[in-house]
Amino acid sequence: MTKFTRIAAAAALGAMVGQAAMAEGLSTPNLAYRTGPFAATGIPLMNGQADYMAMLNARDGGIGGIPIDFFECETGYSTEKGVECYEKTKSNAIVSQPWSTGITLQVLPKTNVDQIPILASGYGFSPMADGKVFHWAFNTPLSYWDGASIILKYIKEMGDLSGKKVAFLHLDHPFGKEPLPYLEMKAESEGFELLPIPVGLKEMQNQSAQWLQVRRERPDYVIMWGWGAMNAGAITEAVKTKFPMDKMLGVWWSGHDADLRLVGEDGKGYKSVSWSFPNSDAPVMADVKKLVVDAGKSQTSPEEMDGVFYSRGLVISAILAEGITVAQEHAGKPDISPADLRWGLENLNLTQARLDELGLSGMVPPFSTSCANHTGHSGGWILEWDGAKFVKASDLIMPESEAISELETAKAREYAEANAPWPVNEDCQM
Amino acid sequence: MLYRTAGQFKTSYQADQALFPVRQDAVLLAIILAFAWGGLPLLASEFAFQTLLIPILIYSLAALGLNLLTGFAGQLSLGTAAFMGVGAYACYKMVTLMPWMNPVVAILLSGGFSAGVGVAFGIPSLRIKGFYLAIATLAAQFFLVWLFEKWGWLYNYNASGAIQVPNLTMFGIYVSGPQADSRVQYYVVLAVVMLMTWMCINLTRGTLGRTWKATRDMDIAAELIGINLMRSKLTAFAVSSYVVGVAGALFVFMWRGAAEPNLFDIPLSFRILFIAIIGGLGSVMGNYLGAILIVGLPVVLGTVPEALGIPISSATVEHLNVMIVGALIVFFLIIEPHGLARLWALIREKLIIWPFPH
Repeated sequence: MTKFTRIAAAAALGAMVGQAAMAEGLSTPNLAYRTGPFAATGIPLMNGQADYMAMLNARDGGIGGIPIDFFECETGYSTEKGVECYEKTKSNAIVSQPWSTGITLQVLPKTNVDQIPILASGYGFSPMADGKVFHWAFNTPLSYWDGASIILKYIKEMGDLSGKKVAFLHLDHPFGKEPLPYLEMKAESEGFELLPIPVGLKEMQNQSAQWLQVRRERPDYVIMWGWGAMNAGAITEAVKTKFPMDKMLGVWWSGHDADLRLVGEDGKGYKSVSWSFPNSDAPVMADVKKLVVDAGKSQTSPEEMDGVFYSRGLVISAILAEGITVAQEHAGKPDISPADLRWGLENLNLTQARLDELGLSGMVPPFSTSCANHTGHSGGWILEWDGAKFVKASDLIMPESEAISELETAKAREYAEANAPWPVNEDCQM
Repeated sequence: MLYRTAGQFKTSYQADQALFPVRQDAVLLAIILAFAWGGLPLLASEFAFQTLLIPILIYSLAALGLNLLTGFAGQLSLGTAAFMGVGAYACYKMVTLMPWMNPVVAILLSGGFSAGVGVAFGIPSLRIKGFYLAIATLAAQFFLVWLFEKWGWLYNYNASGAIQVPNLTMFGIYVSGPQADSRVQYYVVLAVVMLMTWMCINLTRGTLGRTWKATRDMDIAAELIGINLMRSKLTAFAVSSYVVGVAGALFVFMWRGAAEPNLFDIPLSFRILFIAIIGGLGSVMGNYLGAILIVGLPVVLGTVPEALGIPISSATVEHLNVMIVGALIVFFLIIEPHGLARLWALIREKLIIWPFPH
């Protein structure tokens, strides 16, 4: 019976969320995944995104006086469903958020034809930063190459890199392979030995073979590019093999509280680079709590609200909302088109003052975008697991922009050539 | 009444052996084809093309390929997705190495590579049968997906490890890649699928099909009456893999636009096997019915709440969808264990003798 009541409650809750989705306004679909193998990591992100928009609707009546019709289309992280969702939602959408590297890769070539901006905050294809080639794609505020660069910079602060051995434990999937070109380049210039260790999608939960290799090769550092079940698998294996946790650094998607909570104290010292940080004292969190969570308009649980992923979802929605605000000012009307929003996302200027004004103090580093720079390269913090939660272990570290932008331009050109005819906008000023 | 066959006399062997000896069948098919070629493209939206029409056709073709092997020749295979992958990667390599190549020709040729790989993995079928063979084909599944991941040459050393379909033209019109119009892609898929289906129907009615069926029903008896089992089984693997490979090339080039190696992993094989089983093993039409049920129905169901204005969250719709489709699969298999094709055959039989049942 309890199960039944729970289902009934879920249905009722779903009904409420759905009702919000029926509202008129700016259509901003989110290709969410609350089901499927990656649901555990998806739900806090999706909740954060939805709650911020719900808060804006409740507090300010939307953005610029027009409500935000923020609704989800469920993909279950499946590329096939993702494309279905994209097709289903694109007709009057002003933005699309594909939420998986696989879906991003599918949707990316269609952006020039459909002319809808895609916002892939902190994921997708690193060369998307080159706005000259990828007019419609945005991966604010950091790309995977930036993340890899920040990790290497942090390691370098602790000692010289040359002669060291760095294992790169990654998901054997487009997402996990993303930072490889950059890491390979750096391995050559910095003189460290890069040891890529792929983890197949089927081996995510059982990484004994990979960790045996780690034990045999004795790398000085392990850089991890994991997602979903792979993170928990890697962290528990690392604890089991007694790999020094402070020598293990992950990308921002490998810094999920729930994964570390599994090992608790033993995970102490594990680090993850991040461009978002949960700040429970930020004004925006108070507003979300009062207007959305306490008002019963959210599916969020209280402990989830303090997590890294929830706040990241919130920041993503805040970036989108800021893009809409800028676009509305530029267009001079609240009811903006996808092209207007593209202008907005290209002209983001989130200074510290602006972030404070939005109530996001300390939750995301300041950054700005331009026509040629679709990422912003905000820089990031290294977060460290202290046994119970993630704390900041470093000041803001900036990525090594020069080398990265060179690589971005080269790879973006390569993409454009492979997909000819692909329009390239040369008018952009760097 | 409508399906009365009385009065349709066959005066020659040729007429008796025709593809559709019953006139109503031919008329029905003509109506469906006219609708598919003329009606649907006028009525359908971009969404319908991309999520219903094109995928149903491609999945039907893949299931048809599997059905040749499993339903007609009795060799259980769990490697369908991997053979689709071979077709897709072969097509990708061909159009990137030889950009002047006509894309449809490339798609049809890519099936050849798949056929070769299929025969290689079909060799164990000469010694092992049934579930044991299924495990051997499972090895193909694991090996090939691993190969797609590790062999950089296959994806042109792309950093992401995925293949991206370039813009390809045929007679000055884009047929694949992001610039292609859905309608054009639909016509290409429809033409290829029709051609393949027509070929398969005739193959299964001819000598080859009969040897396959004999092998399936009792291989020892078949051998005793002079059928070369090796030839029978290996041709089944070759033809099946060819059709599956073409379906794989269409899958990536005419529909998905990009593919990562794990797309061709076991879940896709199972999905195609389900389509073949629910549609009906040993039938051609069943594959279409199965694909409509497994590929089309969830998409249609997903749009129902919104169309009716029922406010349910998207995740709940997805859960309900899985439940409804699962229940329907069980329901159909209980009322007709031989699949949807058999169900249609029974309905048709009833219609023919109606209103005078025995």
